[in-house]
Amino acid sequence: MNVHDWGRAAELDDVRGAVAIAGIGETAYTKASGRTARAIGAEAAERAIADAGLEPSDIDGLTWSGTFADFDAGAFHDHFGTSHELWTSPWGGGMAWAATAPYLAAQAIREGRARHVLNVFPVAWATQRSEMTGGPGEVHAAQSLKQNLEVPFGFFPQPVYFASIMRRHMLEFGTTEEAFGAIAVACRRHANLNPDAVMHGKPMTLDDYLAAPMLAEPLRLFDSCLISDGGAAYVTTSLERARDLKHPPAVVAGVGEGYSGSGTHWAQQRAFTTTPQVFSAPGAFAMAGMSPGDVDVLTVYDPFTIVGLMQIEDMGFCAKGEAGAFVQGDTLHHDAGKLPFNTHGGLLSHAYVLGIAHVVECVKQLRGTAAAQVPGCEVAVYGGYTGHMASTLILTADR
Amino acid sequence: MAITRETFPLPDVDDPLVAPFFAGAARGELVVPRCDACARLVWYPEARCPVCDGSLSWTPVSGRGTLFTWVVVRRAFLPAFEDKVPFVTGLVALDEDPEVRIVGYVDGDPAELRADMPVTVDFRPLTFSTVPGHAVVVPWWVR
Repeated sequence: MNVHDWGRAAELDDVRGAVAIAGIGETAYTKASGRTARAIGAEAAERAIADAGLEPSDIDGLTWSGTFADFDAGAFHDHFGTSHELWTSPWGGGMAWAATAPYLAAQAIREGRARHVLNVFPVAWATQRSEMTGGPGEVHAAQSLKQNLEVPFGFFPQPVYFASIMRRHMLEFGTTEEAFGAIAVACRRHANLNPDAVMHGKPMTLDDYLAAPMLAEPLRLFDSCLISDGGAAYVTTSLERARDLKHPPAVVAGVGEGYSGSGTHWAQQRAFTTTPQVFSAPGAFAMAGMSPGDVDVLTVYDPFTIVGLMQIEDMGFCAKGEAGAFVQGDTLHHDAGKLPFNTHGGLLSHAYVLGIAHVVECVKQLRGTAAAQVPGCEVAVYGGYTGHMASTLILTADR
Repeated sequence: MAITRETFPLPDVDDPLVAPFFAGAARGELVVPRCDACARLVWYPEARCPVCDGSLSWTPVSGRGTLFTWVVVRRAFLPAFEDKVPFVTGLVALDEDPEVRIVGYVDGDPAELRADMPVTVDFRPLTFSTVPGHAVVVPWWVR
């Protein structure tokens, strides 16, 4: 099968160097906190605005997640007691949209609709799960084809979907359990350097990984992300404006977006062991005038180790099928590796806040303020993933 | 968002999009929708052919396929599965068109399962102890 038969890249305008991330804000990342996502989003927003050195009234654009609907314009005004006009888009937030929200901001800024655009994404799944009011599996169980053709057969929820992809990757390419372990261990290693990470203070070796119980063989406990409460936000503005604000700008150098053409069911993906990053990353690198070899830090959406592994291949850091060998040893480590990876700990060991903290980590790396800082980081990339969709955000230091 | 159907996680055999699939299983036939115009198999079921917009007819297939991938589920992710674990669920690529993958239980010792091994369909009643008094005949994959 030709890889290009099964999906496509979104056609994006060239926004290289037009905008930058000027402010970042995070809440605590925790297990069940008892807080609502809306309250978490408000706190993250407040901190991002302050970090940029702005006032809430300066924010005239808001991107948020229409899928989760947790922090919209009403929530913004309720929290800040404001009532001014906001340009808004529900195509922001986390997951794949954490990468493309700056692109939406760039368009709004270019068209004069906004100057300072806030992107917010909170989640309270740890609280919701403990209260049995929702969680990551329920979205899928509610879809009728999954409910009738998958769930009755035990093909549910996400750990089973991704175990099936892991198995096929192992069968096709000889990928070993140690390769998946290397990803989990690298994330945990970074989380142990990051006091904000949920798994801080809980070291894990490869032996620990291998000794953990199988949830859905070949998928083990530590192949799976956490379930967390927490949120983050960032402010995008023109590069020119960002240079006047408090912190050095994290310049948006490239954005990409790719789609699978085979629908939203994992069981029916034609390219079963490949993500739509193959359509997203090349456009982002072309926009930035860069190649994967230029990247100093890579953060990718890692709900399961296999999703990190596939994206490393699909973004071009190694050939398809070779990530199993590529990731072993210290390749992914922040201090010694050739591809420092999820240096905050990722969804696997930092917090399951669906990618928004990955973008914040990229900004910190470029500012030189990350907990597991990569020396001299000038290019930081986020790979977003949402099943049938992937996205790429290339951020650079301002030089 | 919460699922309130009493027979969950049994399939909803009254859902028009999938009803013929389970009706076929009940009479011992594996049926999938085929496009009346271009003859391709369409899976998952849709209202029309996604390629040529032709109408679809549920059509018997051989019931032979290959094991594309499988998972040995050891944790019960829903209460209904607590007395079923461990079990093997897998994706079977149909001989007629390997891009049609049917999800189902796979019989036998997990240690003996191999990539792309031939499997054939059987039909068995599926029950859950959490849904007493209900059973739905479903495809079941055997070596």
